[in-house]
Amino acid sequence: MAGIVIDRVTKRFGTVTAVRDLTLDIHDREFVTLLGPSGCGKTTLLRLIAGFMTPDAGEIRVGAIPLSTPAGVVPPERRGMGMVFQNYAVWPHKTVYQNVAFGLEVRRVSKADARARVAKVLESVNLAGLEARYPSELSGGQQQRVALARSLVVEPGILLLDEPLSNLDAKLRERMRWELKDLQRRTGITFVYVTHDQSEALALSDRIAVMHAGEVMQFAAPREVYRRPANRTVADFMGLVNLLSGRVVRAAGDASLVALGGGQPLTLAVPPGIAESQAVQVAIRPESLTLRVLTAAAAADTAEALVGKVADVTFLGNITDCHVTLDDGTRVRVQVDARQDLDVGQRVTLRFDRDTASVFTG
Amino acid sequence: MPRVEALLLAACVVALALLVVLPLTFLLWGSMSAEGRPTLEHFREALTSRLYVQALRNSLVLGTWTALLSVVIGVPLAWAVSRTNVPGKRFIHLTAVVSYVTPPYLTAIAFVNLFSPNAGIVNRFLRDVAGAPALTFNVFSMSGLVLVTVLHTFPFVYLLASTALTSVDASMEESAQILGASRWRTALAVTAPLVAPAILSGALIAFVNAIALFGSQAIIGLPGRVFTLPTRIYALFDYPPQYGLASAMSLLFVGITVAALYLQRRYLARRSYVTLAGKSNRPQLVDLGAARHAVFAFGAMVFVIAVLAPYVTLLAVSLSKSWGLQFWQNLTLQHYRFVLFEYDVTRRAMWNSLLLASAAATLTVLIGSLVGWLDLRTSLRGRKLLDYASLIPLGLPGIVVAVALIQFWLRMPVPIYGTLLIILLAYTGRYVPLGVRSANSAFRQIDASLEETARITGAGWFRTFRSVTLPLARPGLFAGWLLVFVPAVQELSASILLFSSESITLAVAVYNLYETGSLEPVAALSIVTMLIITGAILLATRLGGGKPTTTVAG
Repeated sequence: MAGIVIDRVTKRFGTVTAVRDLTLDIHDREFVTLLGPSGCGKTTLLRLIAGFMTPDAGEIRVGAIPLSTPAGVVPPERRGMGMVFQNYAVWPHKTVYQNVAFGLEVRRVSKADARARVAKVLESVNLAGLEARYPSELSGGQQQRVALARSLVVEPGILLLDEPLSNLDAKLRERMRWELKDLQRRTGITFVYVTHDQSEALALSDRIAVMHAGEVMQFAAPREVYRRPANRTVADFMGLVNLLSGRVVRAAGDASLVALGGGQPLTLAVPPGIAESQAVQVAIRPESLTLRVLTAAAAADTAEALVGKVADVTFLGNITDCHVTLDDGTRVRVQVDARQDLDVGQRVTLRFDRDTASVFTG
Repeated sequence: MPRVEALLLAACVVALALLVVLPLTFLLWGSMSAEGRPTLEHFREALTSRLYVQALRNSLVLGTWTALLSVVIGVPLAWAVSRTNVPGKRFIHLTAVVSYVTPPYLTAIAFVNLFSPNAGIVNRFLRDVAGAPALTFNVFSMSGLVLVTVLHTFPFVYLLASTALTSVDASMEESAQILGASRWRTALAVTAPLVAPAILSGALIAFVNAIALFGSQAIIGLPGRVFTLPTRIYALFDYPPQYGLASAMSLLFVGITVAALYLQRRYLARRSYVTLAGKSNRPQLVDLGAARHAVFAFGAMVFVIAVLAPYVTLLAVSLSKSWGLQFWQNLTLQHYRFVLFEYDVTRRAMWNSLLLASAAATLTVLIGSLVGWLDLRTSLRGRKLLDYASLIPLGLPGIVVAVALIQFWLRMPVPIYGTLLIILLAYTGRYVPLGVRSANSAFRQIDASLEETARITGAGWFRTFRSVTLPLARPGLFAGWLLVFVPAVQELSASILLFSSESITLAVAVYNLYETGSLEPVAALSIVTMLIITGAILLATRLGGGKPTTTVAG
């Protein structure tokens, strides 16, 4: 069992609280991503799990065993975890073989046994045949695999990864992403993965913990986080989003009416606890909006739609990126089919499925 | 080839030829000829005569022990300051810096006052008061020489080791830890191999510097009959001077130095793997617990021996009527009056040293700027050669530079021997590598596009150099200026062979006064010298103008 329980952990540096009263329950064999902008506390949390830091409050357990408490921590070397660093931290004075075999030496694995295990793990990360090379003779991607192999060879129950792909070029990053996911499935190791790249998080994770200012904003499956962001911060961080200011005209749960963009009120699902005439923010992703040109014939058909004028059209190949100025001056970004021809100045309606919009207070 | 570039290239070639290449050529010729005919007689004598073989061996022994002890002192201090929670880090760091800046001949004089067999106050105390003659220490010995020298050289190891220790990314060590390695094992398997090249490199620099110091080797070695290469070469200039043998000895000396520097470069090249990746994480500090007081005590001990003891001793000697166990009973300023007002050498020496040091610093930086600019901004053929030529003096001990200049200028129709000019040539030649390196790194930080912008706007080459390149490079160039000024103002090893009563320098004045055997005035002059040096450095820093500007990158 290699589930990790982070129980109300706080970590302060001087006056800055890097991790604030944070609770997270990571299951065995799960791929969990800690996602957030730089400075959100995700790396601190990872280092707390690794045992490089002592929490100021709270407890970290693996299985039922408490590893970190303010009173003391089990040192990193006795946690049996693996860790891959952002800069790989491949030892430049050791060959690939020596790098990978180090953990086995520490564990006093016999030479013959070690050779077999190193060969196997190098095979699995596509580095077979490079045993005698020094890191300076390897590409960035290869160094990154050495770091990975070095952590995997000791068969840890938990692997911690600190932005391991951020130093690779885009193409390699995509391939390594896929390989990591595959590796995690094959090995059944619990992965805790830190990144600020939301597409990486969406592609890899079983669950994403979106972090902000030392707290977890939302901890859920990628689809859930993307479609149903728990709050404005999450919505804003996960991909492109239009945040429209509105006012509740009628509060009635799923059938509430919200005035948006200077047009007629739209029927929207409003979270409980929101009263009439309260200001709200409505988050709608550009790809969830359907744009239709208002012709003279359809001039009257503006029910349940936002109405505005095309302000700007950018052709991007697979899609067309379009800005629409609503009647109250709000600008909305819409992604439409590239085959749809649009002209600046055209009057258009924007519609969306009710469940693709999220309403937040504030 | 554009005209300006050709002009600059010519200027650099002439300068380096005069300063380095021609004197060395004449040194080489001098070592292999007698009365105009080629011969290997000088080398034969240098390598077979007991006198000279002994000197060679002593120099190697001195260098080796000094390098070893520099590691023993420098590495623990570097580790303590960069990796632990030892108290007083600034204090330890300053100790290293002051030890480095203190001229070794002053340390030597101070230690003679403490530990000379008869008059040394510590020895007297042990013998006459404590009744423990077995504990006395004779400074006039190889041990004494190593002790005094190491106080000057351990900072090389300290500085290089602490730079390496702080630049090892924390993740290097953390990777080992998370794989199950204990702190001790991590230190052995990861940290030590990563910083070893820097430590070795520091040890070799300590070695090269140690064997080149004329002052301490003369002051301590000669009375103890511990002859070394510089003191033997110096003795060869007693009448009748044996130029050929001196040249041959000089070349052997250069051979040792160059071999050591070659090894050092090789290690330094491997060091490149210490500074990796963009943002590096500082390693967490080791909590030494109660042991941190013991570690601090070690640093304090170094401070006492390397800084406190020499300065307090010199001050005490300079103020005492006659140095001895009861020196405080007769305090006097008479020695200061003597060296400042009655001994007319002092003032001349002071002006000469200040003048020579400022002129040499300015010249080296100028030559350095030209060489650096040609190297970085043009594609002239031979510019690399220029760069290499300017680095040659790194392998030349001060006394060797003097021998080479004498060999060259005695054969020239221009009589500059015994003038300030030949000393200026010696200083400029000796320190030109410092100027070139500083200028090179200063220019490297200025993107060529900044100069090109000025050119396209209509500024000529000189205008561009004056109003764009120089102002941007100024902090780096000034740092180079100071880097030359500080050793030049206290230079002894080359000056000792080149001075005349008119062109005497501060260090030579101290040494000559010491030779006459009057300890108290020497101490006073030493203190005055230190004050002048410190004052000049402070003034220069002030005039040099403020803080380095932010890096101009491109």
